[in-house]
Amino acid sequence: MNIQRVRSDLVATERVPGLRDKSLRVVEDGSGHLTVALDPVGAKTGDFVITIETSAARYAAGDYAIATDLTIGGIIDHWSEEHWRA
Amino acid sequence: MKVFRVEGTLVATARIGNLDRHRLLVVQERASSSKQVAVDPVGCKPGDWVIAVGSSAARDAAGSKEYPSDLTIVGIIDYWEEDDPTDDAGTSGGAEAAS
Repeated sequence: MNIQRVRSDLVATERVPGLRDKSLRVVEDGSGHLTVALDPVGAKTGDFVITIETSAARYAAGDYAIATDLTIGGIIDHWSEEHWRA
Repeated sequence: MKVFRVEGTLVATARIGNLDRHRLLVVQERASSSKQVAVDPVGCKPGDWVIAVGSSAARDAAGSKEYPSDLTIVGIIDYWEEDDPTDDAGTSGGAEAAS
């Protein structure tokens, strides 16, 4: 699992059925690299979150049939930018 | 999921039998110059910004567990703020920081 920060929402209207209608967020890591994560939790822009990768991401999404390789597992209550920047 | 931009269709007539049904696209990862090949079950156009999955989800996203893909496009991004990050990484970084 990694600590990442939610940068924005992501809208993708045309998508594969395997992604269902799940919410997507753009997340960034400590070095500023952007990826996209599925969000079953309801994170807001600026939240620090825990992300889960690879096939575990599909279990984290609540259903193994969902086609994701990165899922937000939780919102961190207390975290600061100094802790986090690489 | 990673963000890519679609470059174009890739034609590979001689291919393994179970790599059928879907088009293959050449895609370029955001803020990177490396090109990869992705399976496209969605129907993208060149220039589209898309999200793609790897890992075991790439196989299911292509339609079945047996589909031999390790990179599958799962959606077309409706709006992405960068227009052209791949041609000139320096200027696009500045544009992104300014927005």
